[in-house]
Amino acid sequence: MKKGLILAYIAAGLLFLSGAAGTYMLLKPKEANAVQILRDDEILYTIDLNNEDSRFIRIDYGDSYNVVEIKDGRIRVKEADCKDNICVRTGWLSSSAPIVCLPNHLVIKFASASGEIDAVAR
Amino acid sequence: MNKKIRRLTELALLTAAALIIFVVELQIPNPFPIAGVKLGLANIITVYSVYRYKWSESALMLLARILLGTLFSANPSAIFYSLAGGIFCLAGMLLLKNIIPISRLWLCSVFGAVLHNLGQLTAASFIMKTSAVWLYFPPLVLCGCIAGALTGLAAQLILKRTEKYK
Repeated sequence: MKKGLILAYIAAGLLFLSGAAGTYMLLKPKEANAVQILRDDEILYTIDLNNEDSRFIRIDYGDSYNVVEIKDGRIRVKEADCKDNICVRTGWLSSSAPIVCLPNHLVIKFASASGEIDAVAR
Repeated sequence: MNKKIRRLTELALLTAAALIIFVVELQIPNPFPIAGVKLGLANIITVYSVYRYKWSESALMLLARILLGTLFSANPSAIFYSLAGGIFCLAGMLLLKNIIPISRLWLCSVFGAVLHNLGQLTAASFIMKTSAVWLYFPPLVLCGCIAGALTGLAAQLILKRTEKYK
């Protein structure tokens, strides 16, 4: 077997393993209270889930919208008018994985920017 | 002349096949709440063309499939993601073709799929103007490895069966 091919096998194996490890790390449950809602890297809302009453926030984007629900110290997208509804299906924010709505340029994530690095270090 | 027409017909046929596969796959709902996770069945044709045709022919087929596919998908903004993913994937596979022999085509397809997801995330981080989307890179790499291996194996089967018509 040629050297290049062996390297390619090793690279593919490493990709697979690091992808699996990274996914595990990303989806590990995370407890945090400070949440940011962003659009195009501009902070629309900063929310402290501990001191927030249960409520709905409607966020419009042109003709489309997302309805964000805050309830019992948790946050999710309750409703959206996009086709894939990926943000709704993501469910409650519970890990470093942000809730993302690509069509409406919306990102909901825990506020600590270094959060995912902290999680790995611990 | 006859040879030229035959070549053109082959390319057109493969492009049409890729387009059909693409449209059929659009009907399969994504079971994961992550944008961009899919089997990428149309990649079967792309990786096949990388090994069977000239790079320019592969590129034209892919471009035609993406442009026409966007018309069918009723989601015109997705074209930036498709183009970025397609360019990354094709460029990577054309280079790797020199290292990975045709008998290990599925391996080339793995890298193509991962590069496709890399391209899509690059487009997403530009469009969304945020680096937060890069958090989804690990799951996309993982899914890319699996989906790429599957589509690559499918392409290898096709190669085997079409060998005698060459």
